[in-house]
Amino acid sequence: MSGHHIIDLKYLIGTALALLVLTILTVAVYFIHIPEPFNIVVAIGIAVFKATLVAAFFMGLYWDKKINTIALLLSMVFFVLMVGITLLDTNFREKPTDIYIRPSSPPPVSPS
Amino acid sequence: MAQTDALNAHSHVAHHFVDAEQQFDSAKMGMWVFLVTEILFFGGLFVAYIVYRAWNPELFTLAATQLDTVMGGINTLVLIGSSLTMALAIRFAQKDDITNSIRMLALTILAAVIFMVIKYFEYTHKFHIGIFPGENYTFTGIDHPKAHIFFSIYYMMTGLHGIHVVIGIGLIGWLILKARQGAYGSHYYTPIEITGLYWHLVDIIWIFLFPLLYLID
Repeated sequence: MSGHHIIDLKYLIGTALALLVLTILTVAVYFIHIPEPFNIVVAIGIAVFKATLVAAFFMGLYWDKKINTIALLLSMVFFVLMVGITLLDTNFREKPTDIYIRPSSPPPVSPS
Repeated sequence: MAQTDALNAHSHVAHHFVDAEQQFDSAKMGMWVFLVTEILFFGGLFVAYIVYRAWNPELFTLAATQLDTVMGGINTLVLIGSSLTMALAIRFAQKDDITNSIRMLALTILAAVIFMVIKYFEYTHKFHIGIFPGENYTFTGIDHPKAHIFFSIYYMMTGLHGIHVVIGIGLIGWLILKARQGAYGSHYYTPIEITGLYWHLVDIIWIFLFPLLYLID
């Protein structure tokens, strides 16, 4: 596949319209208040779908050499690794780190 | 085609490339590798977001009410529109219609400027009521001892994204200057193509920032 593909107008307009509809959908699901944790799942799901549309049709990965798609997917793999390994630490701490308590706020009162 | 024409058409090919095709594909792949580093660059901030939201879920719900959903939503649409005009600029350049290509690039800059103006109004409103990042945070409207953390993350993520938009404006402005000098056409449009890739990535980052920061319920 050549990287010189001239993208058909219908794909560009179609992608823009799809992104417009999905943006309205993102805001709509915010206002109908889906219960936790599905609100985050739905919001991220729509965002991932929108990003996929942009990458495939605006950035032309659909017609491009596969090596560029592989590069993008690898960055996702490493991002998930970065999140996963960090959460293995931070989500299993006995007590969250309090390094960023605002100086002006009173120190937390101990229950004793 | 006369031999001199063929030579002129390939005058931009550097000596270490076999032909224009290979040079184009290499430039594009190089840009994708750069975009990978950009994704991981923003990735660090997304990790900060995820860790602090996992620690303080109620804070994120409270603090997000201070963000203007309408302004954020308009900015999302503005960036989607600018991505379309950027893609059209590449398409026109590929078809040797440089006049329209420049027009589309100018529209892309216009959208980017609108985005930054809206961002300016959002930021100045927050500064006005004392929502600053970190230690300078003086806003009392959110009943949470770590409220400033949400806004430190907000300013870092949207600020870094805003810097990318400003750099994009500079790059596209430079494209317009070069295009006016007749540098681009169907035989050579690599800078427009890879600046387009950069611009679409900036759009993708915002596609994630908008629901993650503005739309928390």
